[in-house]
Amino acid sequence: MTTAVSIPKTGGSGGRTAVAARARQVVKAYGAGETRVTALDHVDVDIARGQFTAIMGPSGSGKSTLMHCLAGLDTVTSGEIFIDETEITGLKDKKLTRLRRDRIGFIFQAFNLLPTLNAIENITLPMDIAGRKPDKAWLDRVVETVGLAGRLKHRPNQLSGGQQQRVAVARALAARPEIIFGDEPTGNLDSRAGAEVLGFLRQSVDELGQTIVMVTHDPVAASYADRVLYLADGRIVDEMHSPTADAVLERMKNFDARGRVS
Amino acid sequence: MTVLKTSMRNFLAHKGRMALSAVAVLLSVAFVCGTLVFTDTMNATFDKLFANTASDVSVAPKKDDDAQETGKPQALPAALQGKLAKVDGVAKVEPHVTSMQLTVVNGKNKSLSPTSGAPTVGTNWDESQKKSVEITSGHAPHGPAEAVLDSDTADKHGVKTGDKLRVIAVPGDFTVSVVGIATYKTTNPGAALLYFDTATAQAKLLGSADAFSSYGLTAASGVSNEQLKERVTTVLGSSAGDYAVRTAAESKEENKKDVGSFLDVMKYALLGFAGIAVLVGIFLIVNTFSMLVAQRTREIGLMRAIGSSRRQVLRSVLTEALLLGVVGSVLGIGGGIALAVGLMELMGSMGMKLDLGELTIKASTPVVGLAIGVIVTVLAALLPAFKATRISPMSALRDAGTPADGKAGKVRATIGVLLTALGGLALAAAAKADDAKAGSGMLGLGVFLTLVGFIVVGPLLAGFVVRVLSAIVLRVFGPVGRLAERNALRNPRRTGATASALMIGLALVAALSVVGSSMVASATDQLDKSVGADFIIQSENQQPLSPAAVKAVKGAGHVEHVTEYTIVNAKITTPDGKTATKRLSAVTPTYADDVRAETVKGKLKDAYAKDAMSVPEGFAKDNGVKLGDRLKVAMTGGRTAELTVNAITSDDTSIDQGAMYTNIATARNYLPADKMPLDFMLLAKAADGQTKEAAAALKASVEQYPQIKVRDQSDYKKLIQDQVGQLLNMIYGLLALAIIVAVLGVVNTLALSVVERTREIGLLRAIGLSRRQMRRMIRLESVVIALFGALLGLGLGMAWGTTSQKLLALQGLGVLDIPWPTITAVFLGSAVVGLLAALVPAFRAGRMNVLNAIATD
Repeated sequence: MTTAVSIPKTGGSGGRTAVAARARQVVKAYGAGETRVTALDHVDVDIARGQFTAIMGPSGSGKSTLMHCLAGLDTVTSGEIFIDETEITGLKDKKLTRLRRDRIGFIFQAFNLLPTLNAIENITLPMDIAGRKPDKAWLDRVVETVGLAGRLKHRPNQLSGGQQQRVAVARALAARPEIIFGDEPTGNLDSRAGAEVLGFLRQSVDELGQTIVMVTHDPVAASYADRVLYLADGRIVDEMHSPTADAVLERMKNFDARGRVS
Repeated sequence: MTVLKTSMRNFLAHKGRMALSAVAVLLSVAFVCGTLVFTDTMNATFDKLFANTASDVSVAPKKDDDAQETGKPQALPAALQGKLAKVDGVAKVEPHVTSMQLTVVNGKNKSLSPTSGAPTVGTNWDESQKKSVEITSGHAPHGPAEAVLDSDTADKHGVKTGDKLRVIAVPGDFTVSVVGIATYKTTNPGAALLYFDTATAQAKLLGSADAFSSYGLTAASGVSNEQLKERVTTVLGSSAGDYAVRTAAESKEENKKDVGSFLDVMKYALLGFAGIAVLVGIFLIVNTFSMLVAQRTREIGLMRAIGSSRRQVLRSVLTEALLLGVVGSVLGIGGGIALAVGLMELMGSMGMKLDLGELTIKASTPVVGLAIGVIVTVLAALLPAFKATRISPMSALRDAGTPADGKAGKVRATIGVLLTALGGLALAAAAKADDAKAGSGMLGLGVFLTLVGFIVVGPLLAGFVVRVLSAIVLRVFGPVGRLAERNALRNPRRTGATASALMIGLALVAALSVVGSSMVASATDQLDKSVGADFIIQSENQQPLSPAAVKAVKGAGHVEHVTEYTIVNAKITTPDGKTATKRLSAVTPTYADDVRAETVKGKLKDAYAKDAMSVPEGFAKDNGVKLGDRLKVAMTGGRTAELTVNAITSDDTSIDQGAMYTNIATARNYLPADKMPLDFMLLAKAADGQTKEAAAALKASVEQYPQIKVRDQSDYKKLIQDQVGQLLNMIYGLLALAIIVAVLGVVNTLALSVVERTREIGLLRAIGLSRRQMRRMIRLESVVIALFGALLGLGLGMAWGTTSQKLLALQGLGVLDIPWPTITAVFLGSAVVGLLAALVPAFRAGRMNVLNAIATD
């Protein structure tokens, strides 16, 4: 199974497509000739709007590469990627940068924040760069949601790892991007802090209608998602809706076993 | 062994990051070695030149520093030739005629004299000349109307055989036609040379057929130069004291003295500037190693964790520094030789043709270069190396993100402020000093303490000054400006050190510009205040004016009066019995109108009465001279006069400070005509309302003498301004090296911090900072650092300059003039320099891969 296109192309509310992002026949390869390594092998995927999608897979499966390509951070060898109706493959750096700035939010595993800026400055940074004024009411709500009200003037080095990730979540939410990409956003956190951050992400999908794509290898993290995509050897090999941690773990074990046998 | 291997690997792995430090070492070492090679080459060249032209033994008149400047070259009687020829062991006596008191002009009335300050030499053509030149076209001069010119001068001015030249000599003008061109076989020292036959040279240059300038003796075989010298001295007998008898070796030394001391001054001045560059380079190296150590914290922690001792860590960093020092120095030595060759080419274009074959590289030069490069580098790396040894093994386990913000300590603040305050006090004391000597000591101390103080306190000032600068400069750039500001502030120590390097060079520029423009302003002020003359008439080559020229000037119309000014050497005996050799300014009494010297006692007019004089305040005080005292004045070559002190002049002036005035008629009274010095300068006042006409008339009167310039007051002010300006430009040029090294430091700091902030840069790009904004952020950071350095440097420099002016006020530098246009230009220039320094780092930051931020290793 190399596709995960299971959602009608239009639907939902407001006339916008129900698909926030889609990939068509995306190939990402490094090197050439005998040393050629294929990280993504003709992947088709649709990311549903207003949903929390998790991408899972063993190390080297291409899950991070897929996310980077979807987010416009990396280029593809062939194939097409759309954010909403905009094709981003082939966009020049300038337009791509603007797209990331205005339409995409990011949460990374670590080094999410500029050490020279305090929490609130970090949260509003994408809007500041764009020269946009943040929507005060929205900003307050986001800050309230992630529970940072008392720490807005703190520098990152004065915040705990969990708090830092919450600032990163707030930054991603504050600009109201069409889609937020998370690259193992809880990878560096203990389980309690991780649960907190995942809770916020879930909440933002449920209450704010945010679209989120998250790469993870943690079944518990994946269980917060609406849908889990499984990648192996650069292909989408399976997907699961309304996952639970146990179910995800079970399916992972299967893949591992299969991988070992073959 | 492992340590060396690790150091080697680190060094090679970071060659890019080391490159700029290596360039700093290279530049400093190249400057030092270039200076040494160049001056050694010049010395060797002159040695060869003088050795080539020296006779075995030469007999010349004894040089008398006190002799009056009569304009006539010192001469020996022709009769001496026969006496010398009879000395046992003399194979040959060659009489020489040499004069440097001449000007040669071509048919267009244009002077052929070198503009470099080298002399114009007139001499007789004889066998000895053939040692250094050969006639390459035409023939040797014969008779009173022929001359041979050197080929370099001929080429420069397009003179060919058959051309007519006018020679302006002290005994009178005469015209010759060029019958031959002589080409140097050795290095041309830059002089213009004109050869006549011996009789012509005697008559026209010395003004006497019975005189020669010197004799060159050739020793018979088997007689050493020393033996011959002894015999000549014996033959000369009691009159030997009037002559300078020298062996070839002694002549060489004697001739070398002036050139040699000039070369020494040049050498030490250049080495001084090289020293400043080395000092600035130290900051760059310290910063590089600090940053490399900071970036390798985790790695060093790991080394410690697996059992490396502190010593090994120290050794590994220092070995890297050693490698850097060696590489930089070796390249620098090569660069220095190239620099010396370049300087020789430059000299060639200015008239002194140096043969590249003469390039002299003493064994000590590379040794010195290597020693400086290596020692400086290793010393500069010591501090960061010790810091590296304090890295705990735990660092290996910690997350190695961007190094945390550096904080400047309280101790540093206290020391810095204390040093600066002490320096400030020393400067204040220097400004108020009554005694120039004590004051200059205080000034030196103050400069040193404030400089060190500023360097120490720099990181603390960075916080404040950068914020202020950002508020003014960066505000308009919005969030990008804010990011740049925060980056400049994140490590105040680094910013401080980078800016300090720039500060040093710019402080010197500012201080010198203040002193220079105060010099011009003070001179202008003095001219306005005390000079009443409309015109100043002087010879361009510092030579006295010939009597014929003076006569011509005096004959000019529309002129109220012409004042003669000459210097008479005399021994003055004061009432307390002390005798001192002094230079009297013998002037026409109208000088009192031309230069209104302030007196503290008496009237200047009275000093020009018969057998009267004035003395300056300081001299009167030191020797207890009172108004009305009679001083014994023994004029060199003349009689002793008793002159009455009728005025005591103020020392608070920059014109003629310390001059003793007397009437030129009084001097003429006591000096025979042939010992009377020539006029040194003429001053003229136009008849009422006829300034224009007078200027034209005066200029017309000296038309025959292109070396003599008639300047009105504004011309004269411009001359002073030009001279000061030239000197300043030369010094700025030499300081440019230190500034270049400092700019490299800015580039280096930025480049390393861009590497250090790879993740941040990636993050910023991921969340939407465009390449252009990224580049702007780096550029703005650079501009702020540069402006910070400029602000410190200019502030410090202006304080130094102002103190110097206050101190030099004792020497007549009464007016403080801060050259705001220069200061502003330097400040704005620093911003441009900051932009340039950021070019490459900004470009690299813009190109940096976005994914690097996300890739978790």
